[in-house]
Amino acid sequence: MSARYVGRRIPRRNDARLLRGRGHFVDDIELPGMLHAAIVRSPAAHGIVRSFDATAAVDAELVLGPAEIDAATHPVPVLWTIGVQPQTATRVADGRVRYVGQPLGVVVAASRYAAEDAIDQIVVDIDDLPVVADATAALAPGAPLLYPEYGTNVLSAFDSGDTAEHTDAVFAAAHRVLRHRMHLGRIAGISMEGRGIVVAPDPTTDHLTIWSSNQAPHAIRDAVSEVLGLPQHRIRVVAPDVGGAFGLKDHIYDDELMVCLAALRLGRPVKWIEDRSEHMVSTTQARDEHVDVEVAFDEDGRLRGLRIDAQRDTGAQFAIFGGGPLFTMAGLVPGPYRWDAVRTTAKVIASNRTPLGAYRGFGQTQAALIRERTVDLVARALDVDPVELRLANMLEPHELPATTRTHITFDNGDYPACLRRARELTAQFPERPDGDERIRGVGYAFYVQMAGIGPSNTNQLIGLCIGGHETATIRMEPDGSVRVASGISPHGQGQETTFAQLCADRLGIDIDQIALVFNDTDTTPYSAYGTAASRSMPVGGGALHLVADKLAAKIRAIAGELLEAAADDIVLGGGRATVIGTNVSVPIGTVAQRAWQGFSLPAGMEPGLIETAGYDPLSATFSYAAHVCRAAVDPATGEVAIEHYAVVHDCGTIVNPLVVEGQIHGGIAQGLGAALIEEVVYSADGQPLTTTFLDYLAPLSASMPNVTIEHMEIPSPYTPGGMKGMGEGGTNGAMACVVNAVAAALPHVADRIDRTPLSPSYLWELLQSNP
Amino acid sequence: MTERRAVHLVVNGEARVVEVECRTLLSDVLRHTLGLTGTHVGCEQGVCGACTVIWDGAPARSCLALAPQAEGATIETIESVAGTAPGALHPFQQAMHELHGLQCGFCTAGIVMTIVAAERSGQTLDEALVALGGHICRCTGYVNIRAAIEHTWQELGR
Repeated sequence: MSARYVGRRIPRRNDARLLRGRGHFVDDIELPGMLHAAIVRSPAAHGIVRSFDATAAVDAELVLGPAEIDAATHPVPVLWTIGVQPQTATRVADGRVRYVGQPLGVVVAASRYAAEDAIDQIVVDIDDLPVVADATAALAPGAPLLYPEYGTNVLSAFDSGDTAEHTDAVFAAAHRVLRHRMHLGRIAGISMEGRGIVVAPDPTTDHLTIWSSNQAPHAIRDAVSEVLGLPQHRIRVVAPDVGGAFGLKDHIYDDELMVCLAALRLGRPVKWIEDRSEHMVSTTQARDEHVDVEVAFDEDGRLRGLRIDAQRDTGAQFAIFGGGPLFTMAGLVPGPYRWDAVRTTAKVIASNRTPLGAYRGFGQTQAALIRERTVDLVARALDVDPVELRLANMLEPHELPATTRTHITFDNGDYPACLRRARELTAQFPERPDGDERIRGVGYAFYVQMAGIGPSNTNQLIGLCIGGHETATIRMEPDGSVRVASGISPHGQGQETTFAQLCADRLGIDIDQIALVFNDTDTTPYSAYGTAASRSMPVGGGALHLVADKLAAKIRAIAGELLEAAADDIVLGGGRATVIGTNVSVPIGTVAQRAWQGFSLPAGMEPGLIETAGYDPLSATFSYAAHVCRAAVDPATGEVAIEHYAVVHDCGTIVNPLVVEGQIHGGIAQGLGAALIEEVVYSADGQPLTTTFLDYLAPLSASMPNVTIEHMEIPSPYTPGGMKGMGEGGTNGAMACVVNAVAAALPHVADRIDRTPLSPSYLWELLQSNP
Repeated sequence: MTERRAVHLVVNGEARVVEVECRTLLSDVLRHTLGLTGTHVGCEQGVCGACTVIWDGAPARSCLALAPQAEGATIETIESVAGTAPGALHPFQQAMHELHGLQCGFCTAGIVMTIVAAERSGQTLDEALVALGGHICRCTGYVNIRAAIEHTWQELGR
């Protein structure tokens, strides 16, 4: 079957709606009789709620405080248990506050304005407890405990990779050992649309409909069911248009559960829309990790061992995937290089900060930063070219598939060719402008990304309690048009177009004949992930491939009956079923009509054209890329400009290069932001200091260089269709690449860089203290 | 604060009178009183630019104005930009589509209003690219938005 659509730069089919202002986001929903909620949040970082008095809030339709909420809810499960982990569920309200911004209660009133007014009339009395400002404070002897019942502030502790004995032996045998430390600054995901939810109970049917800005409707449905004790089949969760998610919206939040509870109590629809200041304290954040890294290597440049001790300040409680990002970092930190030993010891630590959760990269960004920075340190220590050092240690194509020291098996590819091509692209970087005295450096990063996460058995093995499969359903109507339903939940990634491209090729029909159904638990098959983890195309697209082929087989069988030919001799294309090598054909629409009429079908065949296929992958998929960029540092101010950027990557079969390049651009912006400017900052007493876009700096257009992108396209040996997944890749490469470029520009202080972001003030101070 | 007042506006060419609390933000009037939900609110702090509308010919943050401040104003929102012909898009909207200048589409309306205002007021390409600097987009990395601006200016012979 020839590819008519796959591989083409087809502009997205759903753009016009969004460009004309006809999108349908959660705050655009208006329902008759709808009320509005506001959330009562803790102003204290740590304490015990003594009283919650709403008697003055006379205009509120309903106020629920911690005691009522706790009585009406079951704990929210943490779905990933890693190592020694005392926290496997969290209570929605347990009478304690553990971070500023923690939701304590919900107020419902006639308007958002009135609900926010009512907040000011509620008196919450909190007995302060000593604040655990960060992970270091949390581990200090005698530190106050966020959860006294655990007897520790360590929410999860685990080892990964090689044994201590083996690693020690490798280090002892190596010629040299280098050590460095890094603090990876806490960042906020800042989707441009914050969170929001509309909850509509239907008292006549006992059904609950939830529209929320989310990326995993089924997962959210499951959590609401569990926490509120309602059967899953009576809950419908819909993700309307979603204004960015990046991992932040993969689970339901305590404040959203409070809104559900309020709507159920009132028997009326209730809307809650997060504002930006709330987003900066109550939506899960990322990173905030401290790593001590040791690398063992030989004088000839051979990398031998990597030993990491990592601490993640996960904030006040676990979100749905617990310490997963740090575990993922440890798994992917070996990257494309041969090592004799890789070992990580890790602790995930509670403090009085906003909880961390999933964010684009999910630990793989950190893995790339830690490894690629370390490799550059080795290159400087040996005074060798950093690209040559990488190439000397890099897995060659003939060595793949290869299993890392952390028990992950990479599939295929040509890593060295990718890196060499990236180096060649630096020749295209523009010349330094005349008279510009800034200091320049070129930095590289290479990563292998575990995308297409699955299979389910692997999830089970690593304690991740969700299925790693995807399902698609396809229905061809009697007129030959097609509806595809998938459990993935796109929110900007373009699957309305790319899934149609895939499907059109498999069925040999026009792309305009295909409509996609996503984002709704009532109309789509189950998916534990929705759209996350770079797996929509490899796993969701894999399921689509299988189901389209099932449907195509049935179409060919019916067409064979109509055309008096064997099904195997029928080919689909151009909207027709044709006997191979002849001009005998029938429109596929005629076949579809026959299928639904049930007339003269092959013996024993079920009428209709509906198929479903589940796809549980044999393996995760592994895309990879080489990033290279040039940084210009102004020594007078510490300000960094990234002047040009190039990426060479392989994500297997590319369904739509336009979309893939857009994902790379956006990913780079997020990695660059984390490397240079983005940081959530707290005061010593746990007060957040970055609650507006004036304090928390997101990259603007001027921060982002243009990007040269070259595609390699080596199909995955696993995924039907060969796609490898790549949505997070840009972020994974960019943070390391930018840090390495800045370090390359400042060789005399390069080895002293010990944190991100590399803000102007940080770099300026570093340069001042090391003139 | 909760006192109500009638506010007279011309919105997308149509004279409108809304009676709202004086504290109501212009963005909320547009979105929730008039149902023009294409204008999005990204921060309510005047920084992100998502809520940008064209106010008496110039781009303005609708989240930073109270409704009575807009008394007598002529406001254009994203819903009016493409015109009424079926399928029609402004050249910049068309370029954003063809060059993949949007992903989630939440910040898009504000960017379109800023760039359309720049185009109408005869700004140069460089000025329009600077004007884009008043917007935060978290999805695209801006690369394709800049390409769409360049393409539009080229198409229009600027």
